[in-house]
Amino acid sequence: MLTSRTFLKRTRAGAVMKVVREHYLREDIACGAAACEQCGQQPGEPRLEAQPSGAASSLCPAPHYLLPDTNVLLHQIDILEDPVITNVIVLQTVLQEVRKRSAPVYKRIRDVIANPEKHFYSFTNEHHRETYIEQEQGETANDRNDKAIRVAAKWYDEHLKKINNEETIQVILLTNDRNNKEKAVEEGLTAYTCEEYIKSLIANPDLVDRLACVSDEGKEIESGRIIFSEHLPLSKLQQGIKSGIYFQGTFRANRDNYLEATVWIHGDTEENKEIIIQGLKNLNRAVHEDLVAVEVLAKDQWVAPSSVVLQDEGQNEDDDENEEEKENTLKSSVSKNMLRPSGRVVGIIKRNWRPFCGMLSKSQIKEARRHLFTPADRRIPRIRIETRQSSALEGQRIIVAIDGWPRNSRYPNGHFVKNLGTAGDKETETEVLLLEHDVPHQAFSQAVLSFLPKMPWSITEEDMKVREDLRYLCVCSVDPPGCTDIDDALHCRELENGNLEVGVHIADVSHFIRPGNALDQESAKRGTTVYLCEKRIDMVPELLSSNLCSLRSNVDRFAFSCIWEMNHNAEILKTRFTKSVINSKASLTYAEAQMRIDSSSMKDDITTSLRGLNKLAKILKKRRIDNGALTLSSPEVRFHIDSETHDPIDLQTKELKETNSMVEEFMLLANISVAKKIYEEFSEYALLRKHPAPPPSNYDILVKAAKSKNLEIKTDSAKALADTLDKAESPDFPYLNTLLRILATRCMMQAVYFCSGMDNDFHHYGLASPIYTHFTSPIRRYADIIVHRLLAVAIQADSTYPELTDKHKLADLCKNLNYRHKMAQYAQRASVAFHTQLFFKNKGVVNEEAYILFVRKNAIVVLIPKYGLEGTVFFEEKDKPKPNLNYNDEVPSLTVEKTTFYTFDKVKVNIMLDASNIQHQKIRMALVEPKILGSDVPNQTTELSTNSEPEKKKKKLKK
Amino acid sequence: MAAIEVRLPVARKLVAQSLAQGSDKHLVAPGDTITTDTGYMRGHGTYMGDEKLVASVAGAVERVNKLICVKALKTRYNGEVGDIVVGRVTEVQQKRWKVETNARLDSVLLLSSMNLPGGELRRRSAEDELAMRDYLQEGDLISAEVQAVFSDGAVSLHTRSLKYGKLGQGVLVQVSPSLVKRQKTHFHDLPCGASVILGNNGFIWIYPTPEQKNEEAGGFVTDLEPVSLHDREVISRLRNCILALVAQKLMLYDTSIVYCYEASHPHQIKDVLKPEVMQEIVLETRQRLLELEG
Amino acid sequence: MAGLELLSDEGYRVDGRRAGELRKVRARMGVFAQADGSAYLEQGNTKALAVVYGPHEMRGSRSKALHDRALVNCQYSMATFSTGERKRRPHGDRKSSEMTLHLKQTFEAAILTQLYPRSQIDIYVQILQADGGNYCACVNAATLATIDAGIPMRDYVCACSAGFIEDTPLADLNYVEEAAGGPQVALALLPKSDQIALLEMNSRLHEDHLEQVMEAASKACKDVYAVLDQVVRDHVHEVTTLLGE
Repeated sequence: MLTSRTFLKRTRAGAVMKVVREHYLREDIACGAAACEQCGQQPGEPRLEAQPSGAASSLCPAPHYLLPDTNVLLHQIDILEDPVITNVIVLQTVLQEVRKRSAPVYKRIRDVIANPEKHFYSFTNEHHRETYIEQEQGETANDRNDKAIRVAAKWYDEHLKKINNEETIQVILLTNDRNNKEKAVEEGLTAYTCEEYIKSLIANPDLVDRLACVSDEGKEIESGRIIFSEHLPLSKLQQGIKSGIYFQGTFRANRDNYLEATVWIHGDTEENKEIIIQGLKNLNRAVHEDLVAVEVLAKDQWVAPSSVVLQDEGQNEDDDENEEEKENTLKSSVSKNMLRPSGRVVGIIKRNWRPFCGMLSKSQIKEARRHLFTPADRRIPRIRIETRQSSALEGQRIIVAIDGWPRNSRYPNGHFVKNLGTAGDKETETEVLLLEHDVPHQAFSQAVLSFLPKMPWSITEEDMKVREDLRYLCVCSVDPPGCTDIDDALHCRELENGNLEVGVHIADVSHFIRPGNALDQESAKRGTTVYLCEKRIDMVPELLSSNLCSLRSNVDRFAFSCIWEMNHNAEILKTRFTKSVINSKASLTYAEAQMRIDSSSMKDDITTSLRGLNKLAKILKKRRIDNGALTLSSPEVRFHIDSETHDPIDLQTKELKETNSMVEEFMLLANISVAKKIYEEFSEYALLRKHPAPPPSNYDILVKAAKSKNLEIKTDSAKALADTLDKAESPDFPYLNTLLRILATRCMMQAVYFCSGMDNDFHHYGLASPIYTHFTSPIRRYADIIVHRLLAVAIQADSTYPELTDKHKLADLCKNLNYRHKMAQYAQRASVAFHTQLFFKNKGVVNEEAYILFVRKNAIVVLIPKYGLEGTVFFEEKDKPKPNLNYNDEVPSLTVEKTTFYTFDKVKVNIMLDASNIQHQKIRMALVEPKILGSDVPNQTTELSTNSEPEKKKKKLKK
Repeated sequence: MAAIEVRLPVARKLVAQSLAQGSDKHLVAPGDTITTDTGYMRGHGTYMGDEKLVASVAGAVERVNKLICVKALKTRYNGEVGDIVVGRVTEVQQKRWKVETNARLDSVLLLSSMNLPGGELRRRSAEDELAMRDYLQEGDLISAEVQAVFSDGAVSLHTRSLKYGKLGQGVLVQVSPSLVKRQKTHFHDLPCGASVILGNNGFIWIYPTPEQKNEEAGGFVTDLEPVSLHDREVISRLRNCILALVAQKLMLYDTSIVYCYEASHPHQIKDVLKPEVMQEIVLETRQRLLELEG
Repeated sequence: MAGLELLSDEGYRVDGRRAGELRKVRARMGVFAQADGSAYLEQGNTKALAVVYGPHEMRGSRSKALHDRALVNCQYSMATFSTGERKRRPHGDRKSSEMTLHLKQTFEAAILTQLYPRSQIDIYVQILQADGGNYCACVNAATLATIDAGIPMRDYVCACSAGFIEDTPLADLNYVEEAAGGPQVALALLPKSDQIALLEMNSRLHEDHLEQVMEAASKACKDVYAVLDQVVRDHVHEVTTLLGE
């Protein structure tokens, strides 16, 4: 069965070394065609249909299989993913090359191959006896691979002829390489370029739009004017990086200013950690998230991070002149000490392009096929695409992929991928939001659902045997109103010895989600439940999240209980964990619970229990705060949603009650107790959560802002910060403290999950706890499920499994969870922003009080406490004379004409929805009070005809 | 001028196939079950495992009545009383010599089981003990007969015959003991002008045929007379012939050696060791032996 | 950069084998005239030479002799040219002394040493080319050499390694797969009786996976056994025919 060929490989880095590897050639590799009788079929049904039912092509009417080469696969993956394209042979040679060159495309093609409806077959040609070829002397690896592809195509062609069938199936080689195609035709193969083939598809002309426009030589899209300097080849870059001329880093475009970006330098050198890139030419075609090489400019060319907010508004392709003007604005007066290392991009090490959501900005010329596409993410440049259905796509949210960015083009070239729906539509916008934040939101697949318990579900004898029966306890849950996924419940009772027994009961999700199955994998992938304003994207199927796991009242539910014995000073005497069965006596809202505690008439068990809890919680909280835990604040809003139209009708900031903090206190306590336990048991594989202390420089803005109000904020320790924040109050400005806390929140680092074996700093800064984890919300966080499993093993209630004790896999999982949590947060914010827009769309223009949060060079960022809304007020308007702006970054303050703005100043703003750009509908704010010379409330009446007219007063304000 | 002959690798030919003798022997490999019948007795090369008789070496099964042995193709020498052996003295001890005879343990030659110069059977005195090294010292080769076999497999030798004793000038060839055919006599004066001692232990001594047989010194005096070129050539050729026979796994005894010697005549002595020559002459020998047997 | 794909989705390994397949095993017995037993074995590109002397009188200090059984003396070495980078390996480097010890344990378990009290059996193995599974190749070669020497053994000792990559047990790892750093098990088995002569595992492996890996390794050992047994039988057959008694 085995034929052995040994082949030689030459040198890997450094010294010359001869590597000899075996390469077995086989005869038992099936061709994958259903009609083939010669090949003993491998397990699983054959992948290629006997009667290929692909789309009819005018070029090749006969039934055929497609065989794409590497470049076709790399560039035209969007086309191949289309359901129309079926029966494709993917060669191993091609797959390997794709894998080397682009991981995302490789992942996608793998997914396509795995889909049985697509009838893609991956043929291991490199190990097939008849299709393996040696690299000849003087032949490059690419030529050899091309030859291998042709040999395989030829083999298929001849192989398929041997099938007894009325019609022989043809093999069509798809290649965009002219040389390769010519050679293939010479050898008697049928070969087309991808474009030829796709255009020949009779029934599906729309596919043509999705063809990636790979810049073939001679197919110049634009005038020969070269805008950008050339990217250096990879070898030169690596050399440069090694010798220290260039730096390698991740390119991060500035959200507010399309002409500015920063590059985070990878590596351990402390200085030059961040390099600023300014100006179109210096940015040199880098796109957000690309891995780039940068050259640091000479010191006299260094610039300061600009505080200007600039958006690429140009509709025109030839608006370079304006660019220069804009660039100049960046360079305006800056103090010397603000200068930061600046540089320019010399080459791209790795592109990190993904498909982008956005909208088409239709070309003014009616028949034009080339249009500009504006991505929703402002950090992504606009993309030029070619489409014939521009009118159909207008006003639609679409997805576009970038294909390349030639030197002579102002914008990158791309192609259309998918239409999501009408912009502004709630559904479409939600979809965009989810896609943009990479939130997996498809319905759960059958495979996943098959692992759910069968209904009707009941507790069996065996279950009872391994669980403690705690149904007699007076357990209750306290949650926000309308909560259906209740994952925690509490109880408190007095013991005979006078101590208190407090129990936190957490839904036992890990009982239903067993490690390794599809359900588990899907949950791990989702990582967290995402709460949008009107929608919840569940991490686990609803049956679990809202029923079996949810600790609803008056039903028996499985729980994982953490039970403490405490004295009346809330000192823990004993901690114990157990799997249990509970029966919650009441599901309360925060308000209901608060009411029970406050009302003196109620004396039932639940109320006593709540009062006990509340008393202990207060002690716990005090102790925690004494230890230096921070109380931070961020404006949170809640929408009242119209039950009919699902439009938001009112906005309300969240209110915090005593009971909120009561529940929180016990959850923290449980988390800390569990963290200690699992770390004790698994010093290498405990999944913990840490919150690193922020670098002192992060606090600059907070300290400066406080100073301007004559307050002192100490930031040397969490404790000092907490204390000074508490003291920072001003009798005539009660909201100041909240503002300071909001600012302090912005200074913080992200809290992250990590595996204890991979890190040694466990401290949680915000909670001032040496160790912390997440245990209390397994229904909506996957991290908690892992923690549950660890704890279950630690108390011998469950057995371990391989992935649980593999710290690398755990670290990977943490990475994913951190990413998902971050994305969920962003999606949530985006959802709030969208709903705020909807709200103001209905409400029209309003004037509200606001406070200045930050002062920028040409704008101020304000917070409107009433709506918890944050916005930017610009002082520069297009087509208007520029006001005289004077920015002082020491204080920081901005003087516009004669009015000076400081952080925390109270202002009055005019809020309205700016729908001039459907893509980026935004809340526009304008200053009403104090009034500034030359800057007035913009006239937007045309768009908001139904609403009240904004004031048009022109009054000079004297100070 | 020394020219070195360089040979390229050639595919090995299996001679056995050319012989095409289907062996009907019961061949086993270690771990093979020979029989599950408990009525048999366990012999060499077998062991009992789980009520089964299992082979422990690779070779042919031999049954003698109820006894089952497996004879390995190649082993160390297993001494039997009466065997003629050639050995090398490795150590001189109290009243005994240790002799390396290709057995699992060194053999013993007691001072008392040896003919002392003079040939007379006489009492061993203390002086004799002190003078042991004068008779035989480390490195000396001797021929001897097995007198007894101890329980651990070690062998006791004697040289109480004029045939045995210290060996003088000659060539030693070491072969596998299994290739030496048991015969009435293991001392042969070959017609080609040299003598061989085919030790049962696989040590073969080739030496010039002594002029006078009547020397009764028991071979303790080494003849240091130069050996003539002709004799040396004969000895060399014989040695190479024996190696050729060994390489081709042909049993060694006087006839086979003589035939092989004769077959080697067309070739130069040094060429005899070339694989193809070896194959050719041994095949010829084999043919002649078959004819002899009829 | 994507690392090497050790097991493709189609189920082929870097060198084209399937998960449970061995590399090509070729072997020859009796390669030296001088030694009591010798063998040469190739397992893919791993090449090993084994030589057996004995049983014979104790060499060196006689005090090491065991009164009830034979002493098995092993020595493992690697030729300077055996690896990609030429390297002098003076005797007694840690790796080879460990390997020596493993070989000794393995063969003490297999050879019927009690038949040869107070004697000594020497097993010398050398790796001529290293391409993964050095221990296994050595054991297999030494088994053949021991059989060639006619030394009684309970059974063959067959060794094979197995790894665990992407939740699949792989048999007979080559150098590339070994270098990937996954868990690896080396198993020396007496195939007829399923007794384990030696089991070594480097790096951690979850106990749930152990059974699978062990199964793969012992299946591989039995495959090795089939090959070795064929070699032995061919050899025995050839020689007995030549002897022609």
